[in-house]
This record gives sequence, structure tokens and C-alpha cells, in this order.
Amino acid sequence: MLALRASHLSKTYAGEGAPVTVFSDLSFELVEGSFAAVMGPSGVGKSTLLHLLGGIDWPEEGRVEVFGQPLSELSPRERARFRNERIGFVFQFHHLLPEFTAEENVSLPHRIAGLSAEESLRRARDLLSRVGLSDRGGHRPRALSGGEQQRVAIARALARGPSLLLADEPTGNLDAEAAANVFDLIESLHRERAMTTVLVTHNPDLAKRCDKIFTMSQEGIVPSARFSGRERG
Amino acid sequence: MTFESFVAFRYLAASRRSAHVALISTISVLGLAVGVAALIISLALLSGFQDRIRLQMAERTPHLTVSPARGDRLADPDAVRKVLEALPGVVEDAPAIEGRGWLADARGGTILPVRYRNLPPDGIAPASSEAAVPARISGAAAARLDARAGSLLRVVSSHTRLSPIGPIPIETIVRVVQVRRSGALEKAPELEVPEATARLLTGMPTGARRYEARLADPESAELAARRVAAALGPAYRTQTWRDLNAPLGFALRLEKAVIFATVALVIVVAALNIVSNIALLVVEKKRDLGVLSSLGAQPRSLARVYLTLGASIGALGTAGGILVGVAVAELLDRFRLVPLPADVYLISHVPFAVHPGEVALVAVFAFATAVAAALLPARAAARLAPGEAVRLSR
Repeated sequence: MLALRASHLSKTYAGEGAPVTVFSDLSFELVEGSFAAVMGPSGVGKSTLLHLLGGIDWPEEGRVEVFGQPLSELSPRERARFRNERIGFVFQFHHLLPEFTAEENVSLPHRIAGLSAEESLRRARDLLSRVGLSDRGGHRPRALSGGEQQRVAIARALARGPSLLLADEPTGNLDAEAAANVFDLIESLHRERAMTTVLVTHNPDLAKRCDKIFTMSQEGIVPSARFSGRERG
Repeated sequence: MTFESFVAFRYLAASRRSAHVALISTISVLGLAVGVAALIISLALLSGFQDRIRLQMAERTPHLTVSPARGDRLADPDAVRKVLEALPGVVEDAPAIEGRGWLADARGGTILPVRYRNLPPDGIAPASSEAAVPARISGAAAARLDARAGSLLRVVSSHTRLSPIGPIPIETIVRVVQVRRSGALEKAPELEVPEATARLLTGMPTGARRYEARLADPESAELAARRVAAALGPAYRTQTWRDLNAPLGFALRLEKAVIFATVALVIVVAALNIVSNIALLVVEKKRDLGVLSSLGAQPRSLARVYLTLGASIGALGTAGGILVGVAVAELLDRFRLVPLPADVYLISHVPFAVHPGEVALVAVFAFATAVAAALLPARAAARLAPGEAVRLSR
């Protein structure tokens, strides 16, 4: 079954002068359970594609289906609930909320879903323990290292047990060792939770560890030749 | 605690660490508090004076009057008296015997038109040993006639009696036993004489044009009036002291409404500051809004976060303003901190009266204005495109 189907997407941003077309007529499909990397030069629209796939931005043209659900057919309220239940986001700069502790950050998706503070925090602590940060839950983001911040961000993205994880250069801001650790964590969680994961990266070594690699350019997005024997889909 | 309150209170607490946000938040809260305090003090000042005026109204005006619906005499004064005497809370009732005439000093050098009426039953004790009837005159009349306690005055009624030489005015000599200080709401007649004298002057030996009653509690006048009207039927008209002073009562209410509307502008200006405060927070937290949206927060929830912030600022400012306003008004009144020249005014200090109902009205107005001020930036937060918020904040 297809986890993602993006058909003929066009996206333009209002620039200071003329509008900037990020991409046009872009189509993309991914089967459920895939661990896919999206590579390509800066400015080609990788992050924008991830935002469209996750329903936090919308195309001028085209259609996005996530697990068979066309996002354009959902109301803003339904789309928000869909994101809460089915999609997890990890951003390059972790984007943790600085006013909240690590465990509060991880508990936020549960609070949004309406769970009590106690239950949300209990689940958040469990998840922080899973990402190896059981002793850092009470710290605010600024008291954590870059790698730890990104681990908290991953825990937050997985809080509601999403079927789709969208990670936008999650290791782009980390040193090599921290990046390898974070990637290991994403990979192990992907296998463990049988999710569909789309990961934007500039690091070919990390991309090689994915099942699929897509390369984005001005012409569109295409699957790359196999790097390893792990391609499944 | 809901998700929205959880985020809003954390933002509010954290804003203290951001110097410029903390400054603007403090100014918002202080602005609102100053507005609320100013409004409470203004209304307390107005209420202080108006309460005195109402007290004078209630003192100087009969609490209940019963007059004929048609004609100028009560058809059955005894029935009216019985109904009034049977009414609970009535402390005094008497017919009103009044008329117009002229008042002259003993030499007849100064003559002035005068309204006279009978004294209330417990008015002044008649001086039985004297031939002249005791009378109470107003301060203004006393000044014009250069009269003081003990002075003899001549009263000439506009009514006449028949004499062998034809109709002649009814007149009598009165001795001033009391000069009444004129109040600001002086509606009482210039001359008050015993009932028998008043009847003589008006040529009305029996009956009455009107009956009046005083109540232990003037505030119960409306209820008492309804009971009297029910007992006497449509041939009689029953009015309360409020009815008799309706134009003044309206003017007092209008005055208070105008003061409220004018001083409330301070609160509106303070609310504009709240708009800029919340708008600044929306801009500062744009990335967070995008992140929360990516986590599944509803647009309505994001708006509620900022509405809760507005409500929190509103609650803090309103509570602070109430504390300061009530405390200042109470201190000014209790310690009489604003004196008035007692020989010019009837009171020696500016009175302040805090009415809980008015404080509640100010609180509701201030809080609602603060929440309304947060509506605009809150709607902007709800309309924010999450992807753009995240993208532009990288």
C-alpha cells in the first residue's frame, strides 16, 4: 500500500519581488514501511516537499495523499488531528519550545490530543527513556547538547505513535558522532515501530543506509540507483 | 489545565526573562490597573456626592404621597390615612396643607412671596404660652427678611375670607422658632406652620389635597406604593420620593454614565497596549506556533493560547486596579483627605462611596476589553501558515 502519493505538485512562494517557484509538476510515491532519503542541492525544495507531505503547507497545484487520505479534502481542524495522530516531524534545528522542559516538550502532542498532564508526562518519560534521555527530562532545551536536543525532538515526533515520520535534515546541525547517533536512533525506531520514514539529508553516507534514495533537482524528484542491498520497495 | 492554558501561562511566566516583552507586559498590566483604579475612584467620588444628594432627597421629600387621580382634594382622607397607618414600615403620616401667600417682616418693610405648608407632626413644639404661632422658615427667606429665631413675621395668604366689608386676605402673625438651613435640593416651602394655622391660611378646615408618609426604610417606597395603590384603587395616585425627584434621579444616572464612558477610555487605551503586547508575542513565537501546529494543534487552540494571555493580563490588571482603586477611595473617605470649606458646602470633605455593583461592572468591562483586545492578534495566530512559520524561522 502506498504511504505517500504526491501528484503534480507546484509550489510558489511570494518573494520580495516576483514570486519564487520552488518546483512545479512534481510527483512522488512511497510505499508503506519505506525508509527513504531525499537528497539534492540546497534550495531545490526538499523541506518544502516535506512540509507539503506533512500537511503543514499546501501546494498551489497538485494533490497529496497520505495513507490514501487526500490532505486537501480535510478541513484545517481534521488536518491538525491527522497530523497529531499519524505524522511526526523532526526539524533540522530541533525547534523545541525553550520555555518547556524536555519531558514537557515531548508531552505536548499528548496535551494537544487532550490527555491529562500526568498521563502525558508519564508517556513522555517512557519515550525519553527509550531515546536514552531518562535523566534529562527535567532540563530545558538550552541545557541540552545538540545531539540531546535532537533526540528530544525525535521523541516528541514519535509521541503519538505516528505512521509517518518526516525528518528535515535531522543531523544537519550536528557533529559527525552526534549525527551518527541520531541517525542510528531514527533507524532503530523506524524498524521498531514499522513506520514510513522520509528523511532529508545532505549526507550520502547516511542516505546509503536508507531503503530508498530520491534525488531532487529542478527537473523533479527521481529514485536514485541502488546504493546498497537494503532497498525493498 | 488545558493545553492552551498550559502554554499561555508558561509564556506569561517566561516573558519575564525577555526584557522587552516583560516591559511591554508590565506596561499592559499597569495601564489596565491605572484605568480600572481611575474608574473606580471617579465612580466612588460621584457616588459619594450622589449618595448625599439621594439622602437629602429622602430626607426632604415625603417617601410616599397619595393624591387624587382627578380633582384637587382627596375624596376620603380618612380612608387614605387608615391605609397608610396600616402599612408596615410607616413611621409618620400626615395630610399636606399648603398654599401661597406673602411674608413680611413685622414693620412691613420687606415683603416676599412665600410657599407655606403644615409642619410635620414632630416638627417643632408649639409655644402654647404665646399668641404668635411658632414657625420654621428657610434660611433664604430669613436672610431676605433679616429674621432670626424669635422674630415676628406677618403671613398673608392668597386666600380670602368674607368680612363685613367684603373679602379680605387671611393673615396671621408667626414667631420664628427655627431657621432651616437650605439644602442644595431645597424644594421644601419657605415657611412651615402648625397644621391648624396652615388650614386657617388655606381656608381648608377639613380634608386634604394630599397625604404624605415617611417610611423607616426609604428604599422600600416602591413596594409600599404598590400596596397603597392596590388598597386604594384607581381614584388615587401614589408616588414615591423617587417619582417626585425623577428628573434629578435621571440627571444623576446620566452623570454617572457619562463619567463611566469618559474615564473608561483609559481602559480602552490600555487595551490597545495589550493588542501590541500580544501581537509582539505572536511574532516572537511564530516558529513555536508553526511547531505546535505541526504537532497537531488546532488553529482554534493557537488562538486560545493568545486569548488566555490577554485574559491573564486582563485579570492581573483588573485585580490590581480594583485593589488600588478601592483602597484609595476608602482611605480618602475614611480619613477625609480632601477637605471642603464647610461654610460654602453642606459637607466638610469630599465623600467617596465604593459600591460593590459598580466595582463589579468596572471589573467585567476591563476584563472583557482586555480579552477583546487579544482577539485580533489571536486570530492572526490562528491564521498563521505553519509551514511558512517554520520555514521562515530556520
